[in-house]
Amino acid sequence: MTRHTRAMSASLGASLALALLGACTGNADDDGAGRHQRPGVSTGTVIGGTPVKGGTLTVLSDQDFAHLDPARNWVMPTMDFGSRLLYRTLTTFKSSPGKVGSEIVPDLATDLGRPSDGGRTWTFTLKPGLKYEDGTPIKAQDVKYNVERSFAPDLAGGPDYAQRYLAGAKDYTGPLQGRHLDSVKTPDDRTIVFQLRRPVAEFSYTVTLPTFSPVPASREKGVQYDLRPFSSGPYRIDTYERGKKLVLVRNTHWDPATDQVRKAYPDRIVVQQGLKRGQIDDRIIASSGPDASAVEWSDMDPASIAKVLPRPEVRKRLAAEQTGCTDMLALNTSRAPFDNLELRQAMQYAVDKSAQVTANGGPALNDIATGYLPPSLTGVRRADFIYGRSTTGDVEKAKKLLAEGGKPDGFPATITVSTGDKTRAEALQQSLSRVGVRLQIQTVDPSVYYDTIGDTKHAPDMAISGWCPDYPSGSTFLPFVFDGRTIREKGNQGNVSQFRDKAVEKRMDEIAAMSDATRANQAWIDLDPSIQRKSPAVPLLWERKPLLAGDNIAGAFGHPVWTGQFDFAVIGLKDPAKSQG
Amino acid sequence: MIAYLVRRCLGVAGVLLAICAVTFVIFYLLPSDPASAACGKTCSPQRLAEVRHYMGLDQPVWRQFGDYLVGIFAGRDLGSGPHALHCGFPCLGYSYDNALPVWDLLMDRLPVSASLAVGAACMWLVLGLGAGVTAALKKGGLLDRTLMVGAVATASLPVYFTAVMLLYGVVRVGGLLPYPTYTPLTGDPLGWAANLLLPWTALALLYAAMYARQSRSSMIEAMAQPFIRTARAKGMPRHVVVVKHGLRSALMPVLTIFGMDLGALLAGAVITESIFGIPGVGRLFYDALQRSDQPVVLGVTLLAAFFIVLANVAIDLLYAVVDPRVRN
Repeated sequence: MTRHTRAMSASLGASLALALLGACTGNADDDGAGRHQRPGVSTGTVIGGTPVKGGTLTVLSDQDFAHLDPARNWVMPTMDFGSRLLYRTLTTFKSSPGKVGSEIVPDLATDLGRPSDGGRTWTFTLKPGLKYEDGTPIKAQDVKYNVERSFAPDLAGGPDYAQRYLAGAKDYTGPLQGRHLDSVKTPDDRTIVFQLRRPVAEFSYTVTLPTFSPVPASREKGVQYDLRPFSSGPYRIDTYERGKKLVLVRNTHWDPATDQVRKAYPDRIVVQQGLKRGQIDDRIIASSGPDASAVEWSDMDPASIAKVLPRPEVRKRLAAEQTGCTDMLALNTSRAPFDNLELRQAMQYAVDKSAQVTANGGPALNDIATGYLPPSLTGVRRADFIYGRSTTGDVEKAKKLLAEGGKPDGFPATITVSTGDKTRAEALQQSLSRVGVRLQIQTVDPSVYYDTIGDTKHAPDMAISGWCPDYPSGSTFLPFVFDGRTIREKGNQGNVSQFRDKAVEKRMDEIAAMSDATRANQAWIDLDPSIQRKSPAVPLLWERKPLLAGDNIAGAFGHPVWTGQFDFAVIGLKDPAKSQG
Repeated sequence: MIAYLVRRCLGVAGVLLAICAVTFVIFYLLPSDPASAACGKTCSPQRLAEVRHYMGLDQPVWRQFGDYLVGIFAGRDLGSGPHALHCGFPCLGYSYDNALPVWDLLMDRLPVSASLAVGAACMWLVLGLGAGVTAALKKGGLLDRTLMVGAVATASLPVYFTAVMLLYGVVRVGGLLPYPTYTPLTGDPLGWAANLLLPWTALALLYAAMYARQSRSSMIEAMAQPFIRTARAKGMPRHVVVVKHGLRSALMPVLTIFGMDLGALLAGAVITESIFGIPGVGRLFYDALQRSDQPVVLGVTLLAAFFIVLANVAIDLLYAVVDPRVRN
């Protein structure tokens, strides 16, 4: 293929593709199969060394943020951006590539929280001397207020952990009408106490979410708070034209002595929005003028990969951390054929996962998934290989199971994918045809994809679906994907397989009630293979998030918690004088 | 004449109302659920119902439509309590996505699309008319054939091809211009033009080809009219015959399509804006479609319809002035 046809298809492809998953967790030292196939992209390492203070960091983006309002921000890369630059949370993640990045440290709080009453009550104390962008003190009441905001239907879309965990919150609809929540107490300006419905062992992790950042009630603007969140972090919003440009400048009242994570190297951060994806790649690859001081916001276009990997000087500027999400082939267990266990298990052997890797951008951007829980949640050890180690499948075993399930000659089945995943569906079609399963592909626009597969009455037999944990705990993964009680008739998300299993649900409740976080986490890891044996979904890929950084960028790495987005706490420039503005 | 104007304005209102109704129904039939999208990744049925109520989506579709129409003139409130949003006349609702009034979003993006449309229009008029008139005057000659073959070739190239080629040749390989980043005219006129030069060219090439063919045939037709022969017979200088008599009458059909084209472009060139990363109305429309942001899609559709209908009326009025017969 010549260079220009490639450039062209890149631009065309970008207008069609839309990333369906958020992105990423990096685990430099996983022992995965297929590691040898991976070209040497920067994983677990820092691009460009240590930054120098000053200059303007540019972020080139093809899109606007969904929500910057901390009560509504639930898109992983945006949670990274918001909680690293604009608002501090009670605890936060270390700023480090690889596994260390999933460890938490105190942020607004003095410690990781003190549990009592068997993990039903959690107490946090705020550090002294914390200030907002106008110099007024940050109070415990303001954290409580933002937690309350997350209940308001006007301010929907944010993490719902406060609603899940807090006691006495059943009919609460937020503070906008003047009602407050009794289960969050603030005995003084620096102490906040959460009373939970049940023991939550990993609550120290829960409070890394932007829901647990301060918003003073006097700054409330309802839905319009989204346009100008009031800063408690190292930067404040100078201007924000939605869909066009966001400019951040230093918050002079942020005190680095109170913050062990954020380094705040650049003087200004400019986010240029609404650009075209393939062009962003080209600009950062070329790194001329101000583009040298730029990073990209959204995943690199898969079509650009051929311009990057063969060139060492560009390849070393590519981060490709694991997203920490698991991409799966959900089997609709609510009706024939996949209400039958053997037929579901047959699919585990019939699918050619290597072909999925190829169809999704190749081994540089994908690892083969061997379990539901992503490596970021299972630690170094991967889930067991329940269905063998072959990456291309095992046709004989699949046929045997099909015969046991009463369908020795296969059967017709439907699959719905979004337009961007058509090649992947075709690869599936091909691999399943090996065992006589005739896949009929329906493609729908990305904007209606989740609504289409979430309409349980009309759901297809199969769908490609993914899940990303909200923080490194199995409790943010398996219950969302395989708890039958979360299924909704319309707008069903997470449990796309419509998997209902009393034994699994009972075990989930038991694990959720454990007060020891380490024990609970091990229990989640052990639950994974037992769900796999019931085969509600075929784990396919652990994707990586490819992101390019300009030539003048330093301190850049994909953060393992926020789906591999660059960690904005420590990113900066090699030579601030080279950046503009 | 006044009765004619009133009739036309009522017609315009009717067309806009019909478009509005059709768009509303299409969205109602789509499988997407804006309340579920707003509610987040997981959402309890109780909370979903609250969100649906807040967004007014629990009302029957005719009621939603009625509220929308009344809201355009009387204004509407989003939510209740001290932080409710009020949007005044002309209220086209709020974006589901970012809670900004649709009218403000449109007015924010319109100057961008207008910059693109007007600049491109100037370019294609000069290029298209120039080529068309030259070809007509040299009818059958080598220049005519070259120009017309060129026009057919250019017109058959879709804009996403020319746009990408221009970007590749001028920006990536040539390095003559930076990647376009829209700069407002008011801040930096030179940067405004430099950044729009490529999008203008991409659009102008497409339209210029069509205009060249259109103006060539009308020019040939005009130059064959008896009044041209008369003018020549009277001994008028050639340039007066061509410009004052020939071109003037040949321009009428060209201006008809020009009005429509410009009207349509003012409401956004979706492909061109997307490829060049220009934050205009077209890009707004594209993003809104991707996110099922129905109020914004509806707003852009109405704006586009308004401009096209307006262009039609303007042209018809122009005709009505020239030719009293069309008034009935």
